[in-house]
Amino acid sequence: MKLLAILLVSLIGLGNRSVAAEERHLTLEQDVWPILKAHCFDCHGATETLEGSLDLRQVRRMQSGGESGAAIVIGDSEQSLLFQRVRDGDMPPGEAKVSAAELETLQKWIDGGAATKRPESDNIGPGLGITPEERDFWSFRPIRRPDLKLPTDPLAAAAARTQIDALAMAASAAEEPLAEADRRTLVMRAYFTLTGLPPTFKQAESWLADQGDDWFDRLLDELLQSPQYGEQWGRHWLDVAGYADSEGFTVNDAIRPWAWKYRDYVIRSLNQDKPFDQFIAEQLAGDELAGAKQGDWTPDQIEFLTATGFLRMAADGTGSGENTEEARNQTIADTLRIVGTSLMGLSFHCAQCHDHRYDPILHTDYFALRAVFEPALDWQSWKPPAARLVSLQTESDRARAAEIEAEAQVVAKEKADKQGEYMLQALEQELAKFDEPLREPLRTAYQTPAAERTEQQKELLATNPSVNITPGVLYQYLPKAAEELKTFDQRIAEIRSRKPPEEFVRALVEPPGHAPETKLFHRGDHQQPKQTVLPAAPTVAVPEGERIEFPLDDDSRPTTGRRLALAHWLTSPENPLTARVIVNRVWMHHFGTGLVPTPADFGKLGSSPSHPELLDWLADEFIREGWSLKKLQRLIMTSAVWRQVRGVEPIDANGLPSTLHRLEAETIRDRMLAATGTLNRQLFGPAIAIKEDETGQVIVDGTQTRRSLYVQVRRSRPVAMLQAFDAPVMETNCELRPNSTVATQSLMLLNGEFILDQAAKLAERAIDESETLEPPFAELVLDLPSPPAPQWSYGFGYFDEVTGRTESFEPLTHWTGSQWQAGPELPDPNFGWVLLTAAGGHPDGPDRAVIRRWTAPRDSTVVIRGKLSHGSPNGDGVRGRIVSSRSGNVGEWVAHNGEAETNVVEGLAVNAGDTIDFITDCRQNQTSDSFAWPVTLTVRSEDAPERVITSNEGFSGPQAPERFEAGWIVAAWRAAYSRNPTDEELQLAADFLGRQLDTLHQNPTSVPSGRTATRQALINLCQVLLSSNEFLYVD
Amino acid sequence: MTDPQVIAHDLRHRREFLRAGSLGIGGLALAWLLQQEQARATPKMLPKSPPKFDLAPKPPHFAPQAKAMISLFQHGGPSHMDLTDPKPELDKRDGTDYPGEIAYSFVNEASKKLMGTRWKFAKHGECGMDFSELLPETAGIADDICLIRSMHTGANGHEVSIRYFHGGIPGVLGRPHLASWLLYGLGSETQDLPAYMVLTDPGGPPVDGINNWSSGFMPPLYQGTVIRPKEPRILNLDPPPHLRGEPQRQNLDLLQSLNRRHAERFPGQADLDARIASYELAARMQTAAREALDISQETKATHELYGLDDDATREYGTRCLIARRLVERGVRFVQLFLAGQPWDNHSNLGTALPAICRRTDKPAAALVKDLKQRGMLDETLVHWGGEIGRLPVTQNQGAPEKHGRDHNGQGFSMWLAGGGIRGGTIHGATDEFGHRAVEQVVTPNDYQATLLHLFGLDWNQLTFPHNGQIQVITAGRPAEIVGNILRQPPNAAEG
Repeated sequence: MKLLAILLVSLIGLGNRSVAAEERHLTLEQDVWPILKAHCFDCHGATETLEGSLDLRQVRRMQSGGESGAAIVIGDSEQSLLFQRVRDGDMPPGEAKVSAAELETLQKWIDGGAATKRPESDNIGPGLGITPEERDFWSFRPIRRPDLKLPTDPLAAAAARTQIDALAMAASAAEEPLAEADRRTLVMRAYFTLTGLPPTFKQAESWLADQGDDWFDRLLDELLQSPQYGEQWGRHWLDVAGYADSEGFTVNDAIRPWAWKYRDYVIRSLNQDKPFDQFIAEQLAGDELAGAKQGDWTPDQIEFLTATGFLRMAADGTGSGENTEEARNQTIADTLRIVGTSLMGLSFHCAQCHDHRYDPILHTDYFALRAVFEPALDWQSWKPPAARLVSLQTESDRARAAEIEAEAQVVAKEKADKQGEYMLQALEQELAKFDEPLREPLRTAYQTPAAERTEQQKELLATNPSVNITPGVLYQYLPKAAEELKTFDQRIAEIRSRKPPEEFVRALVEPPGHAPETKLFHRGDHQQPKQTVLPAAPTVAVPEGERIEFPLDDDSRPTTGRRLALAHWLTSPENPLTARVIVNRVWMHHFGTGLVPTPADFGKLGSSPSHPELLDWLADEFIREGWSLKKLQRLIMTSAVWRQVRGVEPIDANGLPSTLHRLEAETIRDRMLAATGTLNRQLFGPAIAIKEDETGQVIVDGTQTRRSLYVQVRRSRPVAMLQAFDAPVMETNCELRPNSTVATQSLMLLNGEFILDQAAKLAERAIDESETLEPPFAELVLDLPSPPAPQWSYGFGYFDEVTGRTESFEPLTHWTGSQWQAGPELPDPNFGWVLLTAAGGHPDGPDRAVIRRWTAPRDSTVVIRGKLSHGSPNGDGVRGRIVSSRSGNVGEWVAHNGEAETNVVEGLAVNAGDTIDFITDCRQNQTSDSFAWPVTLTVRSEDAPERVITSNEGFSGPQAPERFEAGWIVAAWRAAYSRNPTDEELQLAADFLGRQLDTLHQNPTSVPSGRTATRQALINLCQVLLSSNEFLYVD
Repeated sequence: MTDPQVIAHDLRHRREFLRAGSLGIGGLALAWLLQQEQARATPKMLPKSPPKFDLAPKPPHFAPQAKAMISLFQHGGPSHMDLTDPKPELDKRDGTDYPGEIAYSFVNEASKKLMGTRWKFAKHGECGMDFSELLPETAGIADDICLIRSMHTGANGHEVSIRYFHGGIPGVLGRPHLASWLLYGLGSETQDLPAYMVLTDPGGPPVDGINNWSSGFMPPLYQGTVIRPKEPRILNLDPPPHLRGEPQRQNLDLLQSLNRRHAERFPGQADLDARIASYELAARMQTAAREALDISQETKATHELYGLDDDATREYGTRCLIARRLVERGVRFVQLFLAGQPWDNHSNLGTALPAICRRTDKPAAALVKDLKQRGMLDETLVHWGGEIGRLPVTQNQGAPEKHGRDHNGQGFSMWLAGGGIRGGTIHGATDEFGHRAVEQVVTPNDYQATLLHLFGLDWNQLTFPHNGQIQVITAGRPAEIVGNILRQPPNAAEG
């Protein structure tokens, strides 16, 4: 099938090329206009004043030419100045050059007679206007509901579950029925798509066991109704809206303390399935919908106002020391950009300075759109962010607050007086640095109000700039005074903190009766305003000959009504863009790629739709069904194309993407928290704090386990883990997340603190939940490795000199906290003085030697080094023997008030399970027999690296036997993947645990303190699960 | 399922029909028919996936002169009239009032009194480049470097100018660093080490912190990897102690075996293989980075060259040496930062300036010498400079010995060496007091355009789509290649 597809494309491609090159007639409108638009019209057509008086908009005008004469000679490109200048690189000026293909088109067109499609009129107005060809571009055509089509093949027709399938198949040659993914895959896919969270194991199992035919519909019901739905889809919308909890633009990157209210509004609206046209209208014009305040704000009004946070998302430096004309205009431009890319799929900003070079968006269109927002976003009458917060305070709270504020003002007055004193003091102090003849004139000059100063005084202050003391720089002169003034601020803050809590929304509220004129800015420069532009819809999106103007000032409401009118136009059935843009985004989040792969660029530089009819049908259906996002999603998710198997080929037979989806950054973190069972599902509220760890990485405050969408989005401080997995760093907004696969992600998953913590928590959860496993898993016994016995054991006994073997070995059973003894008392009533410490010990009588025993874990050879020491001149000292269970007595040493080296340098061969005993007895005399005998074993074996073992290694009290439970593995799998492990996976995990345990026992440093080797091995297994592709991707 | 051969036959038939028909029916009809057919086939064209980014080596636009770059960034604003830009007129009028307008940052200590330099200048090298006695070692490489005396940011603030240098627009955050553009355009020569590394100072982060190595709106793939002055040297590179060695190797083995089993189910999914490979790379990086940072492999002579035997120069020298080792191993871009902004000499110029010169002069010069003797200088561009310079007037601190100089973004110096730069060149000039760049002014945008050019990239053609806009490093601001500091003039190189 795939082969055939390639064949089809190549055959048709060939045919088409030959026609295009040889037989088609080139015209100005079709072929040459786009070239001139991209390269020439800026100077020779679009503007009222034409460079060199040359106008290239019509053939007749080209012929009459400009100051250098005729631009073209029809039929003779070589004689045509237009062609010559472009070919020779003289035109266009600057870096951009006309491509060879474009040049060839130009030449052929001139040589072929410089044809036009339509007769040229004598008079045309200024500017480029929109040509019929441009208007005929796919995205500007009206949305047309296609006729129902069914695949001709009966099998395929049977497989088509919905109209989506019929259209997807009809558009292609696919006639193969689609293989549906298995139920488990569908459940996982649906959960992640709709909620961004995995099902629990139990949830997944219950859907798998569901006997009803309508199980999938009920699954969708449940997920669409869950509060997590709004969080997941809210996150998608917040990307496009450019959501951030900080202002950006300046170094401060000041926090937006109330931005989260807009985030919560988005979540709520999506959970309610608020009709999307209403959702758009509220965000664009919530203040106009809210109307005037009468008494306290009503809940509805508050909701409407909160919605306008959308128009307050652009980076805004005007509250952080950059309240400049440039900064204000930049904020307006960014806001328009967000509106354009999110709701119209067009980036209008190219038309800010001139007509768009590629898309039919006129310079005037840009300002007509800007005019819609001008009354509310007026750069000449601007409020910085803090000044435009809308208080939600009630009248009664306000009165109480005013009382407290009056108290605060008393202190503020005190402060002001004090500051005045200090200013004076600083002045005098500074003046003292000057000689007397200067002092008085400087004082007078400084104290004279700036506007009243004489030239001489101004000059004087300019030459002596250090006298220009202002409150802002007072700290530079009198640091202590400045500190003191701060204490007033603390007192004021303390008083104010008693006010009833006042909440705000970051809203956009148009002042009543404010309708400033919008001027077109020449070259986008606000200092070069030109003609007045009226609020209107972009020309190209309106049928030829029509013009949709928005009201200058709607008399029925206090505001101008312009934004409300824009919202209504955007969501009217005649609008070709908005519904297509929205359904394309929704489709993209279900398939990984949109039907239009460039979701924010529906213009010439974007991609065209892979399935134009399907796109139109979805858009039309979306509108017909009342702009319900949830209905649209249900429609998509019940289609056969959505439900088919993914990842077998990159593209399915219908040309739709068939890829696995790498979880988004937030989802990865959320899924880890869900897997460990620590996810806090609380909804809404202020942003969760971030901080820098000791290495400077920005991290989420460690105790916070809420979903990632609640983590503060500070533009200048992206959370390292989220950023690594492509979470946007908001500059303006994020239309499309990249999907990177890089080593830094792997390093983070191998070594990052967050995942290591989560792995430990998952292990804990697995152990807990393994207790409650049901049959058959409760009884599951696996061929799990038993942890190796401790290598050292401690006892007493007797060496048989005749056989040369250890005759008896009785374990010491009492641990005192620092040594092993035969019983709690010393001497023990039965066994006397036997004891072993980490370094040495004490034997009892001749037949009760103490024995430190090493058991070989594997076949190996052992080299022994040690030193037996005895520290008393009394008695007759002690005797040390090294006895192998395989070869008997290896050596024998005596120490009496001195030391003996107890080395066995020739490798001692042992098999696994053999013992080497270090036996110390009292010789004849039973007094003063304390000894020390540290030894070191160097163990070499074929199947393991060399190991050095000391006799005090692992010297500790009784240890609960470490053991593995098969149930841990099962429970870990369930928590991480929402499924049981397969038998094969169980074995894989068991083998892994076996290897780990072996390694960990050999490397005590691999087990952090407070953990056992088995626990650490399980944690390592859990980390592998959390960093695996099954965890990071959903198919 | 229809037999493919039948369809193919049918198609051939149709084409023949159309060809034949073209004799009879008009060309327009034929075109229409073919268009219809193409429209039907459109969905067969592969839909574009979301953008994917990688660091595989990519061909430049034209032959490059530089392949790697080491930037010794001097935060704070080195005092050019005391180091690289002698001003006899300033010295002569020491103590008199500056005749023009000056923008101050510290108003309380502002003064109009001109302050000449207290250090002696002399000419060095065959080219006769001037250096003050504070930079004796840099003076020794005069013939290898190009000194630009006409740098200009137009803004006095530190962050404003720093961001201008790194990102292309004064003061604006969220733009990719110059090095991110290089990586985006050229990929990486090494697949075992991060291609863009940043060496920070044990004293702390530089002013403007992590913004100094941000990839802005580009994916984090292009972000600088910080080599910290203490362990952990690279974040997340090394396993915590308990996972080192065998335990992590076993983790990786299990992970990869689970991943491979998973990938078998999805043969059409290249992404899964890429992730498996990226784990292997991560493991390789652990060894490669450790090796690259191990300067004990260097000879005693090299240690001495960089001043590792001297307390004053050891720290900076070590980082310069590590920078060379990184570039040697295929790292594209290395940038060294100093803690805070030690060149910000508002006060105590007489002691603070010699101290920071003493710390950095020898190692910086050693880097150029070392690269040259290893034959690496031709392809390695070295940059030395800060974001601004300093004012010719006194910043008044009471006692004269405490005087310093305030910020100056109107004119200052920096130098470049290697990587296609013409050594022994002085470019541009400031006015008679060293206040403003007046001849052959170079802005950070010019600097960026020139650097990209040396790497074989046309700065206007190296575009990145972002928010529906085509972005270039200079953000569409005016820029030009500073042609006469290059060994090969622009046109020759591009041809």
